[in-house]
Amino acid sequence: MIDEIAEYALYVAFLLACALPLSAYINKVMAGERHLLSRVTAPIERGACRLLGVDPGEQMGWRKYLFVALVFSTVSFAGLMAILMLQGVLPFNPQGFDGLSWDLAFNTAASFVSNTNWQSYAGESTLSYFSQAIGLTVQNFVTPAVGVAVLFALFRGLVAQESEGLGSFWVDVMRAVLGILLPLSLVLAIVDVAQGSPQNLSDYETTQLVEPVGVTEDGEIVAADDPAAVETVDEMVVPMGPQASQVAIKQLGTNGGGYNGVNSASALENPTPLTNLLQCASLLLIPVALVFSFGRFVGDRRQGRAVFSAMFVIFLAALFAVAAFEMAGTPQLAQDGAVYMGSDGQSGGNMEGKETRFGVTDSALWAAFTTAASNGSVNSMHDSFTPMGGMVPMLLMQLGEIVFGGIGCGLYSMIGFVTLTVFIAGLMVGRTPEYLGKKIGPKEMRMAVVLAICTPVVILVGAAAMCLDPATFASLSNAGPHGFSEVLYAATSAGGNNGSAFAGMDCNTPFLNTVLGLEMLANRFVPMAAALCLAGSLSARQKVAASAGTLSTSNAMFVFLLILIVALIAALSMFPALALGPIAEQLQMVL
Amino acid sequence: MMKSMANWVRALGLFVLASAACGIVYTAAVTLVAQVVFPYQANGSFVEGTDGNRYSMLVGQTYRDDAHMWGRVQNYNAETFTDEDGSVLLWAGPTNESPAAFEFGDAVAQRVEKVRAAHPEQGDAPVPSDLVTCSGSGFDPHISPAAAEYQVERLARTTGRSQDEIRAIIVQCTQQPQFGVLGDAAVNVLAVNLMLDGVL
Repeated sequence: MIDEIAEYALYVAFLLACALPLSAYINKVMAGERHLLSRVTAPIERGACRLLGVDPGEQMGWRKYLFVALVFSTVSFAGLMAILMLQGVLPFNPQGFDGLSWDLAFNTAASFVSNTNWQSYAGESTLSYFSQAIGLTVQNFVTPAVGVAVLFALFRGLVAQESEGLGSFWVDVMRAVLGILLPLSLVLAIVDVAQGSPQNLSDYETTQLVEPVGVTEDGEIVAADDPAAVETVDEMVVPMGPQASQVAIKQLGTNGGGYNGVNSASALENPTPLTNLLQCASLLLIPVALVFSFGRFVGDRRQGRAVFSAMFVIFLAALFAVAAFEMAGTPQLAQDGAVYMGSDGQSGGNMEGKETRFGVTDSALWAAFTTAASNGSVNSMHDSFTPMGGMVPMLLMQLGEIVFGGIGCGLYSMIGFVTLTVFIAGLMVGRTPEYLGKKIGPKEMRMAVVLAICTPVVILVGAAAMCLDPATFASLSNAGPHGFSEVLYAATSAGGNNGSAFAGMDCNTPFLNTVLGLEMLANRFVPMAAALCLAGSLSARQKVAASAGTLSTSNAMFVFLLILIVALIAALSMFPALALGPIAEQLQMVL
Repeated sequence: MMKSMANWVRALGLFVLASAACGIVYTAAVTLVAQVVFPYQANGSFVEGTDGNRYSMLVGQTYRDDAHMWGRVQNYNAETFTDEDGSVLLWAGPTNESPAAFEFGDAVAQRVEKVRAAHPEQGDAPVPSDLVTCSGSGFDPHISPAAAEYQVERLARTTGRSQDEIRAIIVQCTQQPQFGVLGDAAVNVLAVNLMLDGVL
């Protein structure tokens, strides 16, 4: 127990030690001030602006900012879909993979353009190096950059005195990519390679089997000398390709789409506990830094700390809940004591779907990090978590991905919840609601409500749509309540722009690809529009001076209220669905 | 305000520039450094045995032989890959089974029975949990020290080596928690078996 807590403390301390300085750096980068790398990035940015005919000093209104963000996302979507469907005739395809079907290409393009990285396919057996490196990796960079850009537009709206516009979308995206994402990814990718992750352009390799196996007529694996065997196999595939470079940005950009189907559970993607620490910290690094950037930007760091505290409390509660349920395991595994579940010389607990080098400790930690961050990469199979251990990650997504959440989008959705809390608190004590010196009016409230309930609505509508098709239930690997959990998890993951999966469900059908693709697009662009609209209307408001009647938004009372509002909305919208899945399964298991 | 064509062209331009910078330059830079500085890791961590075969130390395998150390339950499939001649190449994946399912309980019971039958020396001692569970990747190369220790007496019996020799091999193949705290100690089962077979 002490070991686990020490390790968790180490992870969190490492994360905060990196995120705090990064927050100041991010603000400099986004403001175009001189920073550590500006000698390299500034000339590239100027050149790109000239080439594209962008006026670096342009101040866009919220409508224009949103319009160009949508234009850019549409072009990215079309470009990626074309690459995926045409990969069969494009270069760097040593395994000779065919182009993707329209529905899989639609789902994958929607997934990567919305920063979700839901994967209806297994990368190593579906995608060429061109699709992985030029198609997906590029979206892994630009979608978090769009998130940062929209978030900073909202920051500018929050502090604007007279409406001077929200900045230039083009410049913001370039700065986020060049100043923040590329340098961090380079460092992480090199460390991953040093620890054992492949990075090459060679054909797939094979490894010799120490004990050859037999394959029967139906493709079943048996002993080599089994009479039913029609073929003996003595080699196993080792996927090659540019893995480390893509894995680095999928972690840093809250993307999560693995190079391999099993994501960071693969010893090729995540070879050691050190890479696990770095990849895990990376997936929350920028979202956490942005919360502190927010405090710095509005000139009152206590505001950033207050939002951070609310997120952190929910996060810690979730982390320890997952860890406790996974350490306890299940009676089906324990076999009345025939299986040793303790932690002497082994991890112990529920090891189904988990890797030995990480054990339950690092697997539970990753599950909490990845669903808090809207990242969606995994280092263990969430489908094989205990019923309640698997419900916690689901709940973290259903909160609306606001416990740090995706880069940019997590915090701007959380600001929606903050606005809602300010309003409700104001009603309770009879004060005019205001946040950071700006009065909250009906229009701001409408946008805040959209930000707060978009995710639950998208998830529940998506899950309901999936349940309408009987074929959905044929694709499940588990029956009963766990089967429903698989459906709900898929709808939640797509609707929360997370991308992790209860992977026992095969979602690669035209119907499910389409439903999930639409969910991902809706939850990406509706909140984005609401956040920019909120920014626009706040930027037009005069700042009012704080008085004795102003509600503090940085004290412990406010943090408590904020957590309460977040929990209330999630519980009210999600509890009935969760009762049918994980809660029912838990009861079935113990009764 | 919406001089829209210009913005569509800009968006396309930015998409192309981003593809060049993040797709091509970034990938090429990482590949170059990886190939020059870390060629062993960057190419799949292959070692060549004295039998002339190449083994990737990061890809776990299934062992049924009494003279080999056993690893995690691996979930092979024969459907994903074939080589140029059309012969099957193995690949692996997770089971995605719910550990609370009754079918899962039955499967574990069978695995426990099999493991116990092969290890009479251990009697009714509980079987370490990673010997009877499938990993997240389906090709976990490691096993816990407890699971390795469970097999020592059997391996001494079947390979004709002393228990101390077996334990020395296990220690050589064990990756301790990094910096003393990170992760769990893990024994590379492939390395152990190659050493038992004398090819490493």
